[in-house]
Amino acid sequence: MIESMLVFGLVNSAVLMLLALGFSLTFGLSGVANFSHGGIYLFAGYLAYFLLKMGLPYFIAVVLTIFITALLGAAIYKLIVIRVRGIVLNEVIATFAIGICMLEFFRWLGFVTYEYSLPYIARGRFTIFETTLDYQRSLIIVVALLLAVFLWFFTHRTKTGLALLGMAQDEYTALAVGIDSDWAATYSFAIGGAFAAIAAVMILPLGIININIGYEVLLIALAVTVLGGLESTKGLILACIILGYAQVITSTFFAPHWKEAVYLAAILIVLAVKPSGLLGKFKELEERV
Amino acid sequence: MKAGYRKERIDRGIKARADDIFAISSYREILYLTGPRILAVLALLIYPLLTDVTGAYWQTVAFIACIIALLTLSWNFLFSVGLVSLGQAYFFGVGAYFTGFFDRTIGLPPLYSIPLATVAGAILCTIIIYPVLRLRGIYFALITFALPLFLMRIIEATGYLGGTEGISGLQRLPGITFSLYVTVVIVLAVTFIFLRLFDTDYGLVLRAIHDNDMSVLAGGLNVQLYKAQAVFIAAMPATFAGALMTLHYRIVGMPAFAVEYSILPLTAAVVGGTGTFAGGVLGAFILVPFSELLRAFGTLRIVMYGIMLLFFVVGLPEGIYRFAQRKYFQFERIVPLEEKADEK
Amino acid sequence: MKKKKALWGLLVALMLLSVWSISGCSPQEAPTQVASGEPIVVAIPTALGSIEGRDGVRAIEMAVEEINAAGGVNLAGEQRPFEVVTIDTREHEAGIPIHDALAALERIILTEEPHAILFGAFRSEVLLASMDVIAEHKIPYIVTTAMTPEMQTKIAENYDEYKYIFRMCLNAPYLVMYLNQMMGYLETEFGFNKAFIVAQDVLWAKGTGGGVEAWLNNNNWEVVGFDVYPTGAGDFSSSLTKARQGGAQVIVPIFDMPQSGVLVKQARDMEVPALLAGFISPAAPENAWDVFEGELDGLINFIFEIGPLPAEAVPMSIEFNKKFGEKFGESARASLAGHAPGPSYDSVYVLKEAIERAGSLDGDAIVAALEETDTYGVIGRIRFDENHQVVYGMDPAETALGGAFQWREPGVRVPVFPEMIAEDDIELPPYM
Repeated sequence: MIESMLVFGLVNSAVLMLLALGFSLTFGLSGVANFSHGGIYLFAGYLAYFLLKMGLPYFIAVVLTIFITALLGAAIYKLIVIRVRGIVLNEVIATFAIGICMLEFFRWLGFVTYEYSLPYIARGRFTIFETTLDYQRSLIIVVALLLAVFLWFFTHRTKTGLALLGMAQDEYTALAVGIDSDWAATYSFAIGGAFAAIAAVMILPLGIININIGYEVLLIALAVTVLGGLESTKGLILACIILGYAQVITSTFFAPHWKEAVYLAAILIVLAVKPSGLLGKFKELEERV
Repeated sequence: MKAGYRKERIDRGIKARADDIFAISSYREILYLTGPRILAVLALLIYPLLTDVTGAYWQTVAFIACIIALLTLSWNFLFSVGLVSLGQAYFFGVGAYFTGFFDRTIGLPPLYSIPLATVAGAILCTIIIYPVLRLRGIYFALITFALPLFLMRIIEATGYLGGTEGISGLQRLPGITFSLYVTVVIVLAVTFIFLRLFDTDYGLVLRAIHDNDMSVLAGGLNVQLYKAQAVFIAAMPATFAGALMTLHYRIVGMPAFAVEYSILPLTAAVVGGTGTFAGGVLGAFILVPFSELLRAFGTLRIVMYGIMLLFFVVGLPEGIYRFAQRKYFQFERIVPLEEKADEK
Repeated sequence: MKKKKALWGLLVALMLLSVWSISGCSPQEAPTQVASGEPIVVAIPTALGSIEGRDGVRAIEMAVEEINAAGGVNLAGEQRPFEVVTIDTREHEAGIPIHDALAALERIILTEEPHAILFGAFRSEVLLASMDVIAEHKIPYIVTTAMTPEMQTKIAENYDEYKYIFRMCLNAPYLVMYLNQMMGYLETEFGFNKAFIVAQDVLWAKGTGGGVEAWLNNNNWEVVGFDVYPTGAGDFSSSLTKARQGGAQVIVPIFDMPQSGVLVKQARDMEVPALLAGFISPAAPENAWDVFEGELDGLINFIFEIGPLPAEAVPMSIEFNKKFGEKFGESARASLAGHAPGPSYDSVYVLKEAIERAGSLDGDAIVAALEETDTYGVIGRIRFDENHQVVYGMDPAETALGGAFQWREPGVRVPVFPEMIAEDDIELPPYM
C-alpha cells in the first residue's frame, strides 16, 4: 500500500508539474496570469488528436502540435492581451474569456464523447517497489524532470532566457538595457503554450480528452503557482510534490472527492497564511498585500 | 480622422442648465434629468403585470435577470472598494444553502427564512473572507474564484446538507409574479441605497480605499475593518438572491455554487460598465434575455458570453452605461486644430 | 481609431453570421411526409450533448419518421403526424444549475405547447425537480434515461399530482436485480466471493452500488471496498490499489460519464487481476474496442435495455439495429449508447398507441390510456406497474429486458446474461 502510494504520488506530482509549468512560466516572466491556460491545453489535445487522425506519424504530429500551440499562445498575447496589459482585472477577464470561448466552443462542436483520446507513446509496464507502473506514467516523470532542468538552463544560461529573466526581475531596468517588453511577453506566452502542448501530449493519453479538464487544469496551475511562489523553480517542484502526495493520501484514506478540494484548500490556506508562497520572496509579498 | 482637426465633446445646453439648482424652474429640464430613471423604474414595475402579453416564460426570464442584477450590484459594490470578485457564486450559494437549511431543519416559513438567510449568509461570508481581506488585485480575485468551488467540493465530499443530491421539496412561494415583484423592488431599493451610500462620508472612505488604500491607511483609518463592512453590505443582495432563487425552485444543491453565477454577474458588470450600479443592472437586463434568445444554440451561448466579455473588455472598457450617459449628456463635433495654440 | 472600431464590428458580425449559418444546418424538426393535419407536438428537453441524449433523440426521430410515413397517428378518425422539438438542458455536465435545466423545460412547455414529453430529464436530480413542473402543466412525460427509484416513491405518495410521469428505461432497483443475479452466477461458476464496488457520485449510481453491496453482504461475499467518484474524475488508481491489496476478484463499476473508460485502461495498466463486471457507459458501444485499443478484453458490461445490443431472443432489437444503421450510418450505429436508445424508440410507439386508445390529446386521457399499455417493442414486453415503471425481468416474452455482454477478442460483444439471450458462457480473461 505504502509503496504504491509513493509511486503514484510521484506520478501525480509530475502530472501537476507538467500542467502548471506553462502557466507559472508565463506568469513569472510577463506578470500576466493567463487564465486561458486550460483552453490552450485542450486545444493542443484536440489538435494532436486530429493531426494523428489525419495519418501523420506520431513524432511529426507532436512537434507540429507543440509548434502551433506556441504560435497560438503568442497570438493570444499579440492580438488581445497586449491591448489590456497592465490593467490586472482586464487581463484576467480577457484571458478567462478566451479560455471559456475555446473550451465551450469545443464542447459545442461535440468533442465530448469517449472517442477523443490520444495514444500512449509506449505500451508496456514494469514492476517497481511491488507496484506495477506503465511506461507512459514513468515517461511523464522523466519529461517533467527534463522540462524543469531545461527551464533552469534556459533562464540561466541562454541569452534569450536571461533577457526574459531580467524583464521579470525589473521591467524598467530591462527596458533601459534594450530588452523589448512586448517581445519578452510574446515569447513567454509562446513558451507557455508550448509547455501546455507538451503536457497535453504526455498526460491526455492516460484518460480521455474532456472539456471539464480544461477548467481543472486552470485550477491546478493556479494552486501550484500560488503554493510554490513565483519564478522559483524549486518552489514549484516542492509545491507539486506536496499537492501530489496530499491528493494520493486524501483519496486513499478519505474519499476521491477530496482530490479537488486539495488544490482549492491549498490556494485558500497559502494566500491567507503566507501570501508569498512557500519559497517566494518578500518582493511578491509587497505586491500581494 | 483628418489632419488638422480634432473631436471635441461638449455638454448639451440643457444638461448645462439642468445641472444646477434652477432645474426646478422648467419641467422640460426636470424631465431631461429624471426621465430616463423614471422610465426605467416604471418599466420594471409594470412588466410583472404583463403576464398575458409576455407569456409566463418571459416573466421567468425577467426574474432570473433580476437575480443576476442583484449579484451584479454586489459585484459592483465590491469593485468600488477595490475588491475584484471572480466568484459571486460564493455569496449566492451560501445564501441558498442557509435558506435550504432553515427550511428543512427548522421549518421556517419563507417570510422569515429569506431575511434570516440573507443576514446569516452575509455574516458567514464576511467571517470566512476576513483573513484574506488584506490581499489585493488578482490575489483576492483568486480567493473568490476558489471559494465557491471549494465549498462545493466540501459539500460533495462530506455529504452534509444533502451532499450531491441537495435538499429538495422546500416550501412553495406564491408564484412567479410574486417572486418577480419581490426581486424587482429589491433591485430598485438596493440600487438606490448603494448610490446614496456612496454619496455619504462613509462612502467617501470606501471610494478612497479603491483609489489609494495606502493614503487611507495613512489617514489613520482601519482599512481592513472598512473592507469587512463593505463585504458584509455587498454580500447581502447576493445572499438574498440565493435565498429567493432556492425557494422559487424549491431545491438547493451543489450547483448553487456553479461557475455560471460568477461568470454572469461579471459579464453583466463589464457590459454595463464596472463600478456603475445602474450600469450593472442594465447589463444584467441585456445579458440574460440575450442569453435566453441564444438558448437554441446550446453551449454556444457560453461562447457568446465569452466573446461579449472580450469585446467589452478590449473594445469598450467603459461599458454601455457610461457610453450611453455620455451620448445623452454630451455631443461631439469636429473642430479644426488651432495651430497657433499648438505652437504656444 | 474609426478603422479599428469598424474592424471590430466586422469581426463580430462575421462571427454571428457564421454561427447563424452553422446552426441553420442542424435540422430541429423531423420532416412530415404522408400524414396531414395539425401535428402532435412531442418535446424532448434533455442533455443533447450526452451520448445517451444524442442517440435517444435519433431513436425518437427514427420512430417518428416511421410513424409519419405510415400515416401518422389516428386521432379520432383523423390522421395526424408527430412533430419533434428539442431543447438542450446541458444537465450531463457537472455543475450546471438545476434552475437552468428547469428553465429549458419551462421554456419548451410554454413556447411550443407540446402534447407530450419524451426522453425527459437526463439526471435523476433534475427529474425529481422536473416532476413538480410537469405536475403544474399536466403533460404526459415518458422518461427514458434518469433511473432513480425515488420517482416511483413520489408517484406512490402523491398519485394525483405526479401521475403524468412514466418511465420506460431500467431503474436502479432493476439494475441491482440484474447485477445481483450476475454476481450469484459468478459465485457458483467460479467460486468468487470478494468484490470491490466503484460508483459515480450521482443518485442512481450510488443507489445501485448500495443495493449491490447490501446483497453481497447478505450472501457471504466480502465487499473489499465501496468508493464513490465525483462526476468528471479521471484517476482511479487509489481504488484499484485497494482492490488489488484486498484481493478482490470482481470489480463492479457503475458509471455513466465518458471518463469512466479510464478505469478499464488503468486497471490493465496496473495489472489488477480482477474481472470487471458492471456498467461503464463508454465501454458499451460496438466501436469501444477500437477506441480503447483492445484493453476491454474480458470486461462484462451491461446494456440497460436490449436494443443497442442485438439479441436473437428479441427479433425487434435486430431490426432496430438494422434500421438505425441505414438511417444514420454504420458509425453512428456502432457508437449506440448502452442506455436509452431502445426505450426512447419504443416510447414513441407506446405514446402513439395511447393517443389512439384515448382518442384525445387531453393529458389525463392519455395518462389513463398509457396505464393500459401492453405491447412488444425492441426492449421486450412493455407494461407499466402501478407506479408507472415498466416491469423488467428475465424473459422478453413476459417483461422488458436488460442484459450483459462480454468483450472478447477480436472485439466482439458476446451476450452472456441473462440466460434467455446468452450466446455463450462467461469466460475468464487471460490476465486472471
